[in-house]
Amino acid sequence: MSAVITVRNLGKQYRYAKSGRRLRDLLTPQHATIDALSGVSFDIAGGERVALIGPNGAGKSTALKILTGILQPSGGDARVLGLVPWRDRMQLTRRIGVVFGQRSQLWTELPVRESFALLRRIYDQDAAVFAARLDRLIGRFDLAPLLAQPVNRLSLGQRMRCEIVASLLHGPAVLFLDEPTIGLDITAKAAIRELINAQAQSEGLTVVLTSHDTRDIELVCERVIVVNAGRIVVDQPTDELRRRFLSRKLITIRSAAPAIVLDLPGVTRRPGEPHLSLLDVDTRIARVAQVVAAALAQGGIEDITIEDPPMEEVIHEIYAA
Amino acid sequence: MKSTRLEPLARGAWAMARIGAAGTLSARAVLLGRALYYLLVMTTLGKFWNAVAAEHAADALPLPSGIVLYVGIAEWITLSVPAIHLRLEDDIRSGAIEAHLLRPMPYLVGKICETLGGMAVRLGVLGLGGAGALLLSDLPAPAAAWPPVVALALLGGCVHVMLVAIAGLSTFWVRRSLAAYLIMQKLIFLLGGLFAPVTLYPAWLARIAAFSPFAASLYWPAVIALEHDAATVLTAFAAVLTWLALLALLCGAIWRAGMRRLLTQGI
Repeated sequence: MSAVITVRNLGKQYRYAKSGRRLRDLLTPQHATIDALSGVSFDIAGGERVALIGPNGAGKSTALKILTGILQPSGGDARVLGLVPWRDRMQLTRRIGVVFGQRSQLWTELPVRESFALLRRIYDQDAAVFAARLDRLIGRFDLAPLLAQPVNRLSLGQRMRCEIVASLLHGPAVLFLDEPTIGLDITAKAAIRELINAQAQSEGLTVVLTSHDTRDIELVCERVIVVNAGRIVVDQPTDELRRRFLSRKLITIRSAAPAIVLDLPGVTRRPGEPHLSLLDVDTRIARVAQVVAAALAQGGIEDITIEDPPMEEVIHEIYAA
Repeated sequence: MKSTRLEPLARGAWAMARIGAAGTLSARAVLLGRALYYLLVMTTLGKFWNAVAAEHAADALPLPSGIVLYVGIAEWITLSVPAIHLRLEDDIRSGAIEAHLLRPMPYLVGKICETLGGMAVRLGVLGLGGAGALLLSDLPAPAAAWPPVVALALLGGCVHVMLVAIAGLSTFWVRRSLAAYLIMQKLIFLLGGLFAPVTLYPAWLARIAAFSPFAASLYWPAVIALEHDAATVLTAFAAVLTWLALLALLCGAIWRAGMRRLLTQGI
């Protein structure tokens, strides 16, 4: 599939005045620059769901702002749906949807329904097309009970469902999500992820997501771009990333005995409950089959689960590297 | 018929104005409080100017008859203008402006239209209160003056909104609009003739004030209640419309400069 987002050698420098205590510093301040992004290049194909992640200050929000047209890069080039975002922002707004987890795009005093109606007018949408799309989204996101409520009376999870629907009402081809699950409880997070997935798959939507929650990345995105200190350090499919960075498996064994005793090189035990052994296996030293066989040989094994370590650990290892 | 590029913008702007009006109407307690405050201010100022007249101060200061009516109209406009500078400041400082920039509606146009919608509601409610008080008083109420006064009050309110918006846009550079707003407010009060017609000032100051943007906001709409001959009405419309156009251009220029800063430096 052809690329809907192309980024070439993108760079962004911020300039700031260094504070000083002398009067001269106040009158003629010295300036310093920091590289928020440097030489960043990637393509995103239509329908892809990509996570843009990194530690705080890594440059992911800067990249997202540039791609949505609200920040101009210092160098390089970027196209979203063939448009230069910072130059063609008004045109681009009609073709992308953006959700900021920490900022509302709705009118907080208005009932949800009126916010949606206002967005129809702002986006100059045909009434029939809009009504059909809204109906579909209300059904999918289960918003019917919320429509008459003012936005400022909604819970965070309810508001986020409304925010996502608001960003989809004009039928965008690309959806940018900046920390869409921040502050939500586990149930609301799961619901939001599921809804984003369902919407993206049914509409062929391209999704670019930033998040600190690794479950968002695992459950929504098929590709991860890791940014650190303004540069791309990893750009890989989510599964490959896990395999590449982890030469470890996590084996959970439920046993009749309070604990199983395994003294194999490359196997370390994590703290766990009685009858539940959590084993970290370095697959460069010990094979998984060998560990399982040794456990079974002890008898009384009720259940064995073999997993990749959580994504959080993958990310931690990448940052550490 | 094929729609032009301006039609969607006009529809969006109208929708924003309706939102502003609905928001102001929904805050009924605030609206009622403002109307009561208006009547209280007018009662106080009315008594003040009556006392001045009774003390024969008019010998030293040639007070126009119906000055209370003038002040009433100037206060009516002043109290009807929403604090757009605070909304701009909030959005710019908090970064909330970024979400607004991602819509196909120019942010400043939307914000001004929303403010004008709120202002129209306030003008209506305070105007009804003022008209009721006027009917109960023994003040002269020249019927011929009211249509141009109402039209000029709406336009003068728009000028006022532009002036306050300019103060709000200073947030792009100074992060707080209070200083710019206070300067603008004092200029509107003094050179705009909030408490008395600018013609009472020394001649040189009166000339400067009368053709300043501040007078276009208050003095020209209000003075029509005192002098509503065709020449004065035409001069008032010319002054208000000219300043409205110039301030709209100035607002646009400041906005573009602010946006250049925001796009290159971020929030």
